[in-house]
Amino acid sequence: MHVRRLGELEAEIMDRLWAWQRPATVREVVDDINRGRRVAYTTVMTVADILHRKGWLRREKAGRAWLYEPVRSREEYTAGLMRDALGDSQDRPAALLRFVEAISDEDVEALDAALRAARGEADAGTAPGGRA
Amino acid sequence: MNHHALVPLGLALLSGFLVPWTLVRARWAQQVPRLAVTVWAACGAVFAVASALLPAQLLLPGESSHRLSDMVLTLRVPSPGQLFALRGRELAALAVAVAVLAVPAGAFALGLRRARRARRQHAGVLRLIGRYDPELRAVVLDHARPAVYCLPGRSRRVVVSSGAVDTLTPAQLAAALAHERAHIAGRHHLLVAAAEAFGTVFRRLPLARHGSSAVPLLLEMAADDRALRRCTRDALATALYALAAGRAPRAAFAAGGPSAALRMRRILTPHSAGHPVLRGLATIGAAALAMAPLVVACCSFPA
Repeated sequence: MHVRRLGELEAEIMDRLWAWQRPATVREVVDDINRGRRVAYTTVMTVADILHRKGWLRREKAGRAWLYEPVRSREEYTAGLMRDALGDSQDRPAALLRFVEAISDEDVEALDAALRAARGEADAGTAPGGRA
Repeated sequence: MNHHALVPLGLALLSGFLVPWTLVRARWAQQVPRLAVTVWAACGAVFAVASALLPAQLLLPGESSHRLSDMVLTLRVPSPGQLFALRGRELAALAVAVAVLAVPAGAFALGLRRARRARRQHAGVLRLIGRYDPELRAVVLDHARPAVYCLPGRSRRVVVSSGAVDTLTPAQLAAALAHERAHIAGRHHLLVAAAEAFGTVFRRLPLARHGSSAVPLLLEMAADDRALRRCTRDALATALYALAAGRAPRAAFAAGGPSAALRMRRILTPHSAGHPVLRGLATIGAAALAMAPLVVACCSFPA
């Protein structure tokens, strides 16, 4: 339970820093989270430090406080996951099970033909893949 | 050298060459994928054990090799006391057998560990940028390209891209999700890892060569079948088409082979399951029968 909470807080902190698109202090993050629910300053500070050590946030000193900033954009992380998901990175072991591999144009045509043939009687002329 | 090596030799030939050759050509395999996967897995297990017993039997003196044959045929596990009493050539034979067995087992364990690490890393990123959708019971990832996949194992979850949610109808999406849940429930990643390990260790062996490509495809088909219990053929086939074709620049795709077309044809063509099961069982029976003369010959020889 405790671990799950920490994970959620990690996501909350990252969400805010990605949305603001500028470096921010722990105080700013705490104040923003506190609009929705109570969270202790020290907790957020600890989690921000964890994110820094994990390589998600970089920080620099501004006066007496740290200014935190995401190392990479949300889109970059998403692109990395999609590369895994679509099997573009070849060196990976079979860690994920995909619904279907991405395929070439000729194979798309073959699928197209198969789907059209199967639907032949039901609704001739409807584009396959589209919403029937 | 003694005649007790014949049994493991026969088993190795059967499970490593003969059964895989018939299995890869068998049409029943794709109609009853779960049975076919079971046969592949059994072949792998039998081959691993036989390849470990073969050098052991060649090393052993006649009398102890006869006892080993008895133990294997009656599936009797030696007691620790018996193991500690081993001396000289018997001990060497045991060491060789364990060493030979350790090669595929080690590759399997290594593959599992690497896959687990990759999954943990993936899940860690996903936890921070994915958004859990309780209605879909899946994590949604913000990306235009349609994709559906699952992380099996400890941090199990099904993931869909927002592109997939937009492209597919609710019925099609449900079909794709059911397919992924079938992978997770069936622990298919373990069998895929085993097939991969075999493929790297025994690269030239027909069992490994054919098995490492056949098993993942059969598992996809098994998951398709399971999904079809809850969705229509049309929904699953269309989801397959939409996700395979994608929407991103088409030229950039790596060729995934004809497996999607095979699956699609299979999903769209209803078939009766009775006949292929019989044929599958007949193949297994024939393989067992082929071994019988060897076993009889081996056991009836005086030690």
